[in-house]
Amino acid sequence: MASEHKSETTQEYVKEERLKTDLLTVNMGPQHPATHGVLRVEIKTDSEVVAEAIPHIGYLHRCKEKHAENIDYRGVIPFCDRMDYLAAMSMEWGYSLTVEKMLGTEVPIRAQYIRTIVGEMQRLASHLMFYGTFAIDLGAFSPFLYAFQDREFILRYFEELSGARLLYNYIWLGGVWNDISDEQLKRLENFLDELEENIKKYHSLVGENAIFIGRTANVGVISKELAYEHGATGPVLRGSGIDWDLRKKRPYGIYDKFDFNVIVGEGLKGTLGDCWDRYYVRMMEMHESIKILRQCLAGIEEGPIMGKVSKVLKVPKGEIYMRTECPRGELGYHLISTGEKTPYRLKVKSSCFTHVAMLPELGPGQLIADFVATIGSIDIVLGEVDR
Amino acid sequence: MSVYIEQELTFKKYFQNIWRAVSSVFKGLMITSRYIYGVKPVTIEYPDVKEVLPPNSRSRLYNDVENCIACLQCAVACPVDCIYISSVRRDKEAPKLKTASGQPIRLDLTMYTIDTALCCYCGLCTTVCPTECITHTTDYEYSQYTLSGMKYDYLAPEIRAWRTRLVK
Repeated sequence: MASEHKSETTQEYVKEERLKTDLLTVNMGPQHPATHGVLRVEIKTDSEVVAEAIPHIGYLHRCKEKHAENIDYRGVIPFCDRMDYLAAMSMEWGYSLTVEKMLGTEVPIRAQYIRTIVGEMQRLASHLMFYGTFAIDLGAFSPFLYAFQDREFILRYFEELSGARLLYNYIWLGGVWNDISDEQLKRLENFLDELEENIKKYHSLVGENAIFIGRTANVGVISKELAYEHGATGPVLRGSGIDWDLRKKRPYGIYDKFDFNVIVGEGLKGTLGDCWDRYYVRMMEMHESIKILRQCLAGIEEGPIMGKVSKVLKVPKGEIYMRTECPRGELGYHLISTGEKTPYRLKVKSSCFTHVAMLPELGPGQLIADFVATIGSIDIVLGEVDR
Repeated sequence: MSVYIEQELTFKKYFQNIWRAVSSVFKGLMITSRYIYGVKPVTIEYPDVKEVLPPNSRSRLYNDVENCIACLQCAVACPVDCIYISSVRRDKEAPKLKTASGQPIRLDLTMYTIDTALCCYCGLCTTVCPTECITHTTDYEYSQYTLSGMKYDYLAPEIRAWRTRLVK
């Protein structure tokens, strides 16, 4: 298996010098900063070329799905936060939508708007985090600090809204916890103007940089076929040139009210579906998020923020699968209820899991440094992979 | 699987590459140099300067036991089961007590302990409380040397003394 993937240059070198080489097994992670958490990739290296890459997951497994079977429906939400800790609002939103659809609850229009606002802000925060860590993977440190300044505003804003910085428990079944004040909306509007300028600046700082292009263009190419085969979603799928966004194609919440574009990778700096394309899709998506947020601020209505949900929650018998577009891709909840106070089964379909499964296909033939860039560009959070 | 085959390097391309690299690095440095002067530091020097959290920030829990009616709703709502409550029926001869919101206290607490090390700060216990006696405070400095030190018995006098400091 391994010998097939040997790069041509190495083979020629071996032939000429009549050297015997052997594959060297190196463990990247689980405490490696470039693997974004606790991912262990077992790499068989042939000099500096990856011959085989096997991801090992499960270091952050916290039995979320089993826990959910033993606690009531409201108590599951804090556990949903802890899956993808960089986009906790989106995780909550997906779960709330799933249970609400089972219950048939009407969510008030103001709550829908607030949900969209926090969901899109979370997307901004998550993509800013991607921007910073991806630059760190490639050896640039200062973009990380710039991105964190803007992310700090969003986290502080969420702290004022919900009370916590990362694990919010803000989106509840039937609505949201706290109301948003006019002063906060005003502050958000000012921030958006500032952020739009900043993102343009950040893109010219990193995305247009020749060294960055040299490191990411034509690296880690995910072809359309590969993306389809593995069921990739989100920016990874769109980076490969496939126009698919759940917010547009299967609108949930009130996304059908908003006017925005779906950003698709075009292979501007190299091949279609390379690391630069995925970076580009995320950076441009932030502009689209800002567009949606502006429309939210213009259209938000007064009214209640909680729908009618009974105090002792019993979800009717049935089964449902609901998916939402999270910053990292599609998140699906499969809920089976037998009419009890607790879910019978809550299966979570995570996008990061499918993306990690692509690594053995992407790794062979790459330099180790390029492999780090590939892991960074698919932007995985191991909390969501292992759950 | 994808191996990028490099194009042939000509004399012109060589210098083009150098020019592209230098110009884009210069462009980046222009942005970076703007941050040298006139930008206020965003970090704070922690033990000297303390951050004031927003008023509804969820930090250490505090239970005002005088208002507690031992209804166990917080313990039921807790997803990690970190609240331990036990109570006894109040004597009929004993003077009648009422909470601040006017509900009669029919049960006397014998234990109200929260294992803060287990607590996940989700805030579900505070929302179900009928007398609003259990609240999240904005106090975030409470590290302990031992894990058992994180178990707070809210009936103990030294912890009840926090009330003046924490609860607004």
